[in-house]
Amino acid sequence: MHSEKPKHDFEPKIIAFVCTWCTYAGADLAGTSRMQYPANVRVLKFPCTGRIDPVFILKAFQQGADGVLVSGCHPGDCHYIAGNFHARRRFAAFRKLLEFVGVDLERLQFSWVSAAEGGKWVEVVTDLTEKVRNMGPMTEFKELALEEQWSGAINTEELKEAFNQI
Amino acid sequence: MTQTIDTSIYAAVTEAIQSEAQRILAAGEVTAVVGYAAARRKGSAQPIVITAAADAQKLIFTPACVNNLAVYLTKAKKEIPKSGRIGIVVKGCDLKALVGLMGESQLKREQLYLIGVPCAGVLASTIQPDTGLTADSIAPKCRECDARLPQGCDFVPAGQPVTPELEKKYASEIARLEALTPQERWAYWKEQFSKCIKCYACRQVCPFCFCEQCLCDRNKPQMVDTTPRPAGNTAWHIVRAMHLAGRCAGCAECERVCPMDIPLNLLNRKMAKELKELYAYEAGFQVNDNGPLNSYTEKDDQSFIK
Repeated sequence: MHSEKPKHDFEPKIIAFVCTWCTYAGADLAGTSRMQYPANVRVLKFPCTGRIDPVFILKAFQQGADGVLVSGCHPGDCHYIAGNFHARRRFAAFRKLLEFVGVDLERLQFSWVSAAEGGKWVEVVTDLTEKVRNMGPMTEFKELALEEQWSGAINTEELKEAFNQI
Repeated sequence: MTQTIDTSIYAAVTEAIQSEAQRILAAGEVTAVVGYAAARRKGSAQPIVITAAADAQKLIFTPACVNNLAVYLTKAKKEIPKSGRIGIVVKGCDLKALVGLMGESQLKREQLYLIGVPCAGVLASTIQPDTGLTADSIAPKCRECDARLPQGCDFVPAGQPVTPELEKKYASEIARLEALTPQERWAYWKEQFSKCIKCYACRQVCPFCFCEQCLCDRNKPQMVDTTPRPAGNTAWHIVRAMHLAGRCAGCAECERVCPMDIPLNLLNRKMAKELKELYAYEAGFQVNDNGPLNSYTEKDDQSFIK
């Protein structure tokens, strides 16, 4: 029944923060229409894109996400009138900040997917998954989490000098 | 030979501040004046709150008056503005912070008596306080200051500060970092953030970090690790920069108080620059009810959204 699933060396983890009124319904439509899309995406439902705090995206990367998708209603369609307009500005600024800190923005995707756009949801998710798959795992934030501030090794000149003076 | 910066007007400014503080306290126009007084180390200055007209001669203004006094009217000191009208000595950069706080309904203009200072610049945080002001010892924020004469104050002493054109250190450092690859930038910030000891001095001194409970102190859910380790440090500094985006007035107090010399203000300046480019917003002397990130237009750029 199902088409043959291709084997990959690396299956990226994609976290999708979606708004419940449009993109969640759009993803639901894709499901009920039996459209196929990569199972790499984990969907988290929020009331509105305006509820999605940039810190959620940071947290997702820290917890091991390789890519993050933020998706909500098209401008003008917000259930709360202006939530997505505010989100648009906030994420425009947040992208610039992440870029300045040195995060690859290719791993972070924003989109507008309405409740009727099951096909667009499939397209956005497939594109992002393939893009991130080609980029390989996101290591920067994971490495930070594994790293201790100071390993205890006396490995710099300053430390050696201080150690010898004890 | 480093270029000296003319601070001869500071003597006249000090006198004018003293007589004005004396007058408003004696007339009962204000209940207290927040200003600078000489501290114990030679040439240094510290913040002081005076309530008696007789104490007015303690007030000074010198290149060592580095603090942003706006922080004394918010946060832990929230009850102070309620005690009556407060006089406060402000440099241009401090006034921008006060204006921002007024825009966010933290202060009311009528609660304040603003004593503006024509400021030629103050000393950098690493310089001994009795040093003369030169092109080397001046604080980096003063190199690119556009607010030497505060506007909209109740009282500004006469005097026109003159400062030569200096190299803009923040602007050139931002340009340098922007030209690097993302990997190099990540390595740079990783090293900078790894120095952080999570003392939260940057938060404590910032006039805009006035939340009763900081997101980064909450543990249900815990969004940011509180331990001074690389992951939590990076998250803290990103969150801090994001929460100040479109609000930061550029007083650079965060950078001044940082015991580990992390270039914190670079992040704030970068965000200010981006928001100016995106939404033509800049911190200034005009009270705005809405900053760039809590307002919107339907035509905002969305080229990054699919």
